Formats: sequence, C-alpha cells, structure tokens
Amino acid sequence: MMEGQLQQLAASTLARIGEAATPEQLESVRVEVLGRKGTLAQISKDMGKIAAEERARVGKLLNAAKNELEGALDRRQSEFEQAALQARLDKEWIDVTLPAPGVRPGSLHPLTQIQQELEDLFISMGVAVLYGPEVETEYNNFDALNIPPDHPARDMQDTFWLSDGHCLRTHTSPVQVRGMARFGPPLLMIAPGRVFRNEEVDPSHEHTFYQLEGMMVDRNVSIANMLYFMKTLLRHIFKRDVTVRLRPGYFPFVEPGFELDIQCLICGGPGCPVCKQSGWVELLPCGLVHPNVLRMGGIDPDEWSGFAFGLGLTRLVMMRYAIDDIRHLQGGDLRFLRQF
Amino acid sequence: MKFSYNWIQELVSGLDIAPVELMKRITIKTAECEGVEAVGAHFAAAVPARVLTVEPIGGSHNVKAVVDAGPLGERTVVCGAPNCRPGLTTVYIPSGTELEGRRIERRVVSGVESDGMLASAAELGINKDHEGIVVLDGPLPKPDHVIEVDNKSLTHRPDLWGHHGMAREVAAITGLALRDPVDLGRILKGEPVFGVDIEDLRLCPRYSALVVEGVKVGPSPLWLQQRLTAIGLNPINNIVDITNFVMAELAQPMHAFDAAKLTGQTIFVRNAKPGERMAALNGESYDLTPAALVIADAGGPIALAGVIGGMESSIGAATTRIVFESANFHAASVRRTSTRLKLRTDASIRFEKSQDPENTVRGMARAVELLAMVAPGARVVGGLSDRRAGFTPPPPIELPLEWLVRKLGREIAGADVRRILEALQFGVEEARPGVFSVAVPSWRATKDVSIKDDLVEEIGRMEGYATIDPKPPLVPAAPATENPQLHFFRALRRLCAAQGYNEVYNYSFLSEADVERFGLKAEAHVKVANPISVEQGLLRRTLIPGIWKNVEQNSKHFEAFRLFEIGFEIHGKQAQLPEETPHLCAAIYSRAGDAQQFYEAKRLAECLMPGCELRPAEARSYEHPSRAAELLWRGETMGRVFEFHPRHIETGRAVVLDVDLHAMERLTPADRRYRPIRKYPESAFDLSILAARQALVGDIEKQLRQLAGERLESIVFQRQYEGEPLPEGVKSVSYRLTVAAPDHTLSNEEVTAVRDRLIQGMQQLGYELRV
Ligand SMILES: [Zn+2]
Repeated sequence: MMEGQLQQLAASTLARIGEAATPEQLESVRVEVLGRKGTLAQISKDMGKIAAEERARVGKLLNAAKNELEGALDRRQSEFEQAALQARLDKEWIDVTLPAPGVRPGSLHPLTQIQQELEDLFISMGVAVLYGPEVETEYNNFDALNIPPDHPARDMQDTFWLSDGHCLRTHTSPVQVRGMARFGPPLLMIAPGRVFRNEEVDPSHEHTFYQLEGMMVDRNVSIANMLYFMKTLLRHIFKRDVTVRLRPGYFPFVEPGFELDIQCLICGGPGCPVCKQSGWVELLPCGLVHPNVLRMGGIDPDEWSGFAFGLGLTRLVMMRYAIDDIRHLQGGDLRFLRQF
Repeated sequence: MKFSYNWIQELVSGLDIAPVELMKRITIKTAECEGVEAVGAHFAAAVPARVLTVEPIGGSHNVKAVVDAGPLGERTVVCGAPNCRPGLTTVYIPSGTELEGRRIERRVVSGVESDGMLASAAELGINKDHEGIVVLDGPLPKPDHVIEVDNKSLTHRPDLWGHHGMAREVAAITGLALRDPVDLGRILKGEPVFGVDIEDLRLCPRYSALVVEGVKVGPSPLWLQQRLTAIGLNPINNIVDITNFVMAELAQPMHAFDAAKLTGQTIFVRNAKPGERMAALNGESYDLTPAALVIADAGGPIALAGVIGGMESSIGAATTRIVFESANFHAASVRRTSTRLKLRTDASIRFEKSQDPENTVRGMARAVELLAMVAPGARVVGGLSDRRAGFTPPPPIELPLEWLVRKLGREIAGADVRRILEALQFGVEEARPGVFSVAVPSWRATKDVSIKDDLVEEIGRMEGYATIDPKPPLVPAAPATENPQLHFFRALRRLCAAQGYNEVYNYSFLSEADVERFGLKAEAHVKVANPISVEQGLLRRTLIPGIWKNVEQNSKHFEAFRLFEIGFEIHGKQAQLPEETPHLCAAIYSRAGDAQQFYEAKRLAECLMPGCELRPAEARSYEHPSRAAELLWRGETMGRVFEFHPRHIETGRAVVLDVDLHAMERLTPADRRYRPIRKYPESAFDLSILAARQALVGDIEKQLRQLAGERLESIVFQRQYEGEPLPEGVKSVSYRLTVAAPDHTLSNEEVTAVRDRLIQGMQQLGYELRV
C-alpha cells in the first residue's frame, strides 16, 4: 500500500518539478514534498505503522525516492540559476566598438623616431652616442676640421654667424672634435643633432635640419673597414642589402674623401626620376679622417687612423615616409605630426 | 664648371668614348658630374655656303637668295637678313634640321619656296648676334657635348678649373696619351718693354707680362666664339676671348690692358692706398682699402688683383697695343677681396683654389699662339717680364707600399701604384724597397697634395674603390660609453606621448616681434649676424613663443590637442659659448576650455616629477594673472605651469608646462629607501575644513600633515565645495585621513586623540571644521 503511494508521489512530484515555471514554484514543491513537514516526512513518520519486516525494504524505497526528487529539484534549481545568469549576462551587452574614453596617445616626431632607431643600432654595435651644442666655436666647426679661415671649402656650407662671434654649427662634425678631446683613441662614436645652413627655405631646402655624424678611430682603420661599417649600417636602415659605391668627394676633414651612393631603391639601377636617371642616389659623405684633424684632436696620426661619415637624418625621414616638403618637419602642424 | 667634350678630345689623343660614358667615369674617378648636354647639334647637318644671287621680293623686306651649299648643291632660301649679299660665305641649315628647338621646314615665304635657312650667329648658338646671317670666317663649328661638373667637388683641385687638367684626368682614366697644348717656344727671349714691381711676393708669387703691338680688335672667329659660348663664357672680342680661352683651357686667368691707356712703363702689384677707387669692367665702382691687392700703373689702380680688370685700361675697338697679364695671386687674399666686395668672378673662383705659379708663362705662351690665329698682324714686342718669388718645390712624399695597403684595405702591386701616379704625372722613384718617393707636379702641389694620405686617394680612385672588399674592423669588444641624457630625454618623450602629447620641432630662431610679444628684450638674445630674414634674427631663449605659435595654428584645425617640444634655450655668455639649456615645453589646448586643462598640465608635471607641487606665482605678461604657478620639486624650482593670457589666445584656453630639464636631470634619480609594509590594521576618518575661497588647498593639506604627526599613514583630498548652505566666499575642503602604528593596532581612543588634535589644531589656525 505504502509502496504504491510512494511511487505515485514520486511520479507526480517529478512532473511538478518539471512543470515549475519559477524558482518560487519549485521552492513550494520542495517545501510541500521534501520539507520538514512535507509529504515524504509524513510518510517517513508513518513508517512506524508498518510491519518490521517490511520496514527495511520500504525505508530503502523511501530514501531512493527522496534522493531522486532532491536530485531533480537541484537540477531544476540550477537550470533556473543558469537561466537567470544568462539573462543578466545578456542584459550586460556592451558595444565594444564604442571609442575608448580619455585622451588619445600622442606621438613622437618622425625625426625623433629615426634618431632613436639609429642610436639603438649604433649602441648595439658598441658605439657611444654623443650630443653637442647648436652654437659652436668657429674653431670647432671649421679650423679643427681642417677648414682654415679663407679656405674656399667654407663656401660649401653657408654659415649663420652670431653676434658673439660664434656660429650655428653647419654640421655635426664638430662633435668629432669634442669626442676626440673627451675620450681620446680608440674612439667609436656617433653624434646626431640639429644643424644649420644659411639657405632660403623651399620644399627641398631647409636652414635647419638633422644629421648624424659617425667616427671611428683605432689602429689600422682602412677604407675596407669603412665600407663594411657603412654597408652594415645601411642594411639596418633599409632593412635589406643595398648595393653601394664610393666615389671621390671632397671634404677637408677626410682624406681620401668619398661620396657614398646607394643603388636606387626605386628602380634598382636602370634609372628613374628619383635617381635622376643615374641609377644611384647620393646618400652619405664619408672618408678616412684627415691626419690634421686627428692631430688637432690630440691623436697621433702615425699611430691611429679612422673613418668618419655623415648621415642626413632629415633626408632619411623624407625618403622613408615619401615626404615631399621638408618644411612639414618643423611646421608644427598636427595634421602632419599625428601621422607618425 | 662646364667642360667641352670636343676640347677634351683635342687634348686626349684617340678619345672616343661617348660623352655620357665619359661623364660617368669622371664621376666615379675624379669629380661629381651633374649632367651632359648636347650643344650645336645642328652643326652636324649645317654646311658652309656661298651666296650666289640675291633678288628682292616685291612687297616684302625679305630677299630670295640662291646659295651654293657645297655638297648639297644650289639651294633657294628666303632670307630677311640685311647683310645677305652675293659673295658672302655663311652657314646653310638644310630643311629637317632642329634649330633652337624648332624644326626647319621647306615652306613658302612671301610667295617663294624656301628650302632650309641661312642662320644668324645667335640662332646657331655662337654668340648673341641677331643682326644678320653669320659670316663664316673659318672652319665650320662642330657639334659638341658639354659636361657639367659640380664646382664643390673641384674645391681642392685648382688644376681642374681648366680643360687641360680635366684632360689629364681623362687620359689617366682611359690610359690614353695627354697632349700639351702649350709650346713654351712661343715666348722669345728679349728685353721686356714693361717693368713689373711686386710689393709683397707672398700676395703675388708671380707676375708675367708681355706687350703686343699691331692688334686689330674685332670679333673672334666662329670656332673660338662657339667654344666659349658652349661652356658659358661670353665672346667679347678677339683679345678678351684669348684670355678667356687660356683660362678655360689652362685654368690660368689672364688679363689684357690697353697699353695706350697706361701711365708709365711699370706695372705695380701692391696693396691699395686708403681712399683709392677703381671703376671695374662690370660697370661698378669700388672703394678700396689697403687690404685689397691691386694692379696699378703710375697713375693708380688698373685692376683688382685676381678679381677684375679696370674699365679705363680695358680693351676697346681702338686698342692697338696691349699688355697681357698672366699672374699668380695668393688664394686667401683674392678670396678676402672678392668676399668683401661681393664680387665673384671666373678669375677669383680660380685663384682662391691656389693656382700653380708655374702656369703663368704657360698661359702666356698659349696666348701668343692664339694671337697668331685670331689677331693677324699682332706681334709681340720685347721679351717677357717675369717677376716671381723664390721657389723651392716641396720635397717628395715617401709612400710605403705596406702603409698604402693598410689604408686601402686591399693588396696593390707596386707596379700599379707607379702606373697610376705616372699617368697623373707624379714623379715616382723607388726610394728603398717597398717605399716610393713621389714628386708632386706643380699644379697639384699648391694645396691639394702634400702628404701620403693624399696619394691614397689618387691610387684608390684610379684603381677603383669598387675593387675594395668590405672588411669588418677589429675593435675592442666593450660596451659603449653611456649617454645619460639620451635615456633621460627618451623617457620624457615616451611619457609625454603616452599622456597624449604630440611632439613638435620648432626652429631655434625667433624674431624681435616674437620675443617682444613675450615680454623679452631683443638685446638679451644672441643675435644672428647674417639672418635670412628678420623673422630669424634671434636665437631663442625660451621655447614658449614657438609653442604658442603651434597652439595658434593648430587651434584653427582642432577643438582640443596637446603638444610638446624638447629643445634648447640659448643663453648668451660673455666670451664663451652660450649656455644651452634643454627645456620641455608642453601645451594643452581646448576650444571649450575651462580650468580642467590646468590640472591636466599639472598631471603631466606629476607624471614627470612625482611629488612636485605648484605655488601661485606672479603672472608674466603673457600669463593668465590668476592662473600662473611656479613648479617646485624637492624644494627646487623646475619651471612653470600657466594658462596663456586671454589676450594671447583668440578662442579657447591653452595651458603650458615649461620645465628646465637641466634642473630636473640634476634631481633624477632620487635616493629611495624601502619602507616596511604596515602589519597592523589602519583606521580612517574624514575631516571637512571650512576656509576662505582663496585659501590654498596645498597649504591646508600641509597643515593637516603637520598636526597629524607620525601616525599619519595617508591624507587624500576628497572634494571641495562652495555654495549653499555655506556663506559667500567660504569653501569646504574634505580629506580622508588614515592613521596607523607600526607596532600595534590603534585603539579607538588613540584614533580619537589624533582626530581631536587635528580639529583643535586647525581651529587654532583659524579654520572652522564641519564635523
Ligand atoms: Zn632610380
């Protein structure tokens, strides 16, 4: 009798659990059936009335029914919780494409970027990075670089002279002079920085631009060493092997002096407007340091030799980003600067 | 410098490589060429022609001319030239020829069919004469090519300012023989007619003069005129053209004086006397100072030595007797005079490169030879006047082969060294095994080649730098010397960019108007003595005007932005280099600006210098009077934060942070010491202080700190409030204070004790507290 009652109760309760539409309905089923005063508790109380030999078997059945119903309740309960969580999560939808609040990151000037990139390259090669002043003595800018007064080579660099007799450095080469005085040989240094030429400004000429000077002084430095250094440098700058050539170039502070050309990266040699149909692009002046320059730097040219080169940072920036007007670089226009 | 291919070809026997190819080789081996240009290409088709008949054409100023065009037979042309007459020998241009960029076509003119044309000298590119058809007075000029070489790359090569010098290079490059156009035998011995008196042989190491009579001044033959025109020189007359020809060929500038216009029989080379003045050939008159070297006769200056001749003694149509000058002048002296007078001439450009004194007589000999060709009837009178400084050739240069190999970084045979140097006309002896003794030819010895390093270039370039394989240098494996400023600047830039600032680069120049706008005096600045314009007359001693301009300009395009610059202020110093102080100048702009920009700028300062503080400062003229502050860090002034005065900003607001990076770098990095993490819980309470509106929150906080004593863990500003129910002019400032002890948990009584101390203390300082 009690067996049948249990079976019926289990079946109807399972059905009600399945039908419960809300956690509250489910809870009322739990209280009604499994609560302390619920139906199962009542049946359990009535167990006393049945025969002792039956009691164990019915007790087992009762437990089984209780476990089954509790399991069903828990499952149903967690279904409700799952659904509730899901509903909350759905509600918390956000538009991930909305712009982030707050200030946009700024930017570094393209010249800063290229300077830092080259500084890093040279530092990785064991080269010291030196800075020098914008205003230089005539001696450091010219005389110590083997360009005495009244030398026609002074025409090669239109100079801004200052009321105090000094000049705005026309190249970063005077930092060679400072480097030699400060460190002596052996010396491996670069000097990036701002230089000045007294020139009218137009899309391809500036009175203010950036150079990077390099100098190596050691024992037995040769043209072959210089070529190696230059090729390594250029491979890193252009991220590929470049074909170079040296041809004679006159700079009083080197002997021999060279212009280093790279094979045109646009046409690869046959000629195009960028290389003025020559297949070559003049990139950097270089040479073996003139013994007079070493001597004036307090270095004995019989013991030491070296090479020096000058790289136009402004020019590199313009090449890299295909900038057609040099004036943008110091124009302060955010429409330009925000592109970098 | 322009070089005629034909001219070089005349001096290099057997030269047959194409002009473009020659240009490339010169670029690789000698000097940078800028291009090659065909000149007189029409002479390939032109033929000499004699005018046979000339008939007028009714109703036209033109005539119908029949010419005997030699191999082309008789041709009929319509010609408008007034000098077209039978018997005239001229130049006939057949139909189909390009002339001055247009094609000559067979066409009917004034009712007559005209086949080809008779051209003027100007149309043929010989000179500027448009007056009539050219009169052919000798061989027909030939088509030529002109190679233009970059003057800068000839700065050290006095010899390359003439064709013979370049021909020597070409001969060495090609292995062909060089022809010397000079026959010194043209100068005959004899007593000079004119004396030469040189005051200072250092300034004029050599002066050669020769007198010529029976001169008939007139135009040069066409071949000579064309040659000069092709390389950019103007034909003047046969005598002047001779001097220019010699200069273009031998790099020896020459001059011709009209002897009839000279006073006395002596040429003086001396410094100008005070007050002397000379009218020059260019039509200008120059006041001379004793620094200028002049050529003078007994009456005064007749030329500026090495620069320009005088007008009075110049060659004119009536000249019959001339004095040729072929001299050598001190490079720096010529350069100084030409720079001071702002007068750069073909002569001064050459002399300032240190010309070869040996060359004067060679030039004279060449001039005498040309005289016979272009001034028939002229004859030299007397011998050469030739004054010169005592001269010892420089000692030969010792060139050890082993040293040369080390410099080049490649092996080279002694025989190759000898071959190359000899091709360039150096004297080569083997002093000892493995060591050459190299004599430098006079035209390379003035400045260009004096040490063995100079010979490395000669051998390297002629052998070809392409033959040198790159080799890694042997260098000590050592880390590079650190540059602390590099890292300092980089960190600043990174931080500014991360905070939304775009980096700008401004010029180091400012104008007087710029600095005056910012309350500075122009006199306080280092001035540019030769500025491009007044806009760039001063060196900046503040970055603010530049940043201000950036703000003004960008505010036209953007509602809000931030930008910064790291640059150098240049402060002049007595008798030494200016002090260059790096500054960071950052600006934050908003068109709809409020006070927020100021605190944003302050935040950047705090990012850069944690713990820095601002103190109200007396505003400068361009600063907002109520929004200007001094920036302090660790007790030292670092710079300023201020809003631009509304007068300086049209719309919106801009706040500037200006930091002295020298001062900042000195304080970075600070010594830091670890503070143990507190073990016992803290207690917190809030305080609200009522204060006058303009009482500084920074002061209130300091006072609270002081009163709180060592138990204070932190003090955090919560908010400030003005308005109801507070009375007018009063604000309430709220703080959350946290207190703790290192060795125990504070009891309620202890916390209350601190709080009471704070309240009483603040009340004693005159504040009210909202409890
Ligand atoms: Zn190309």
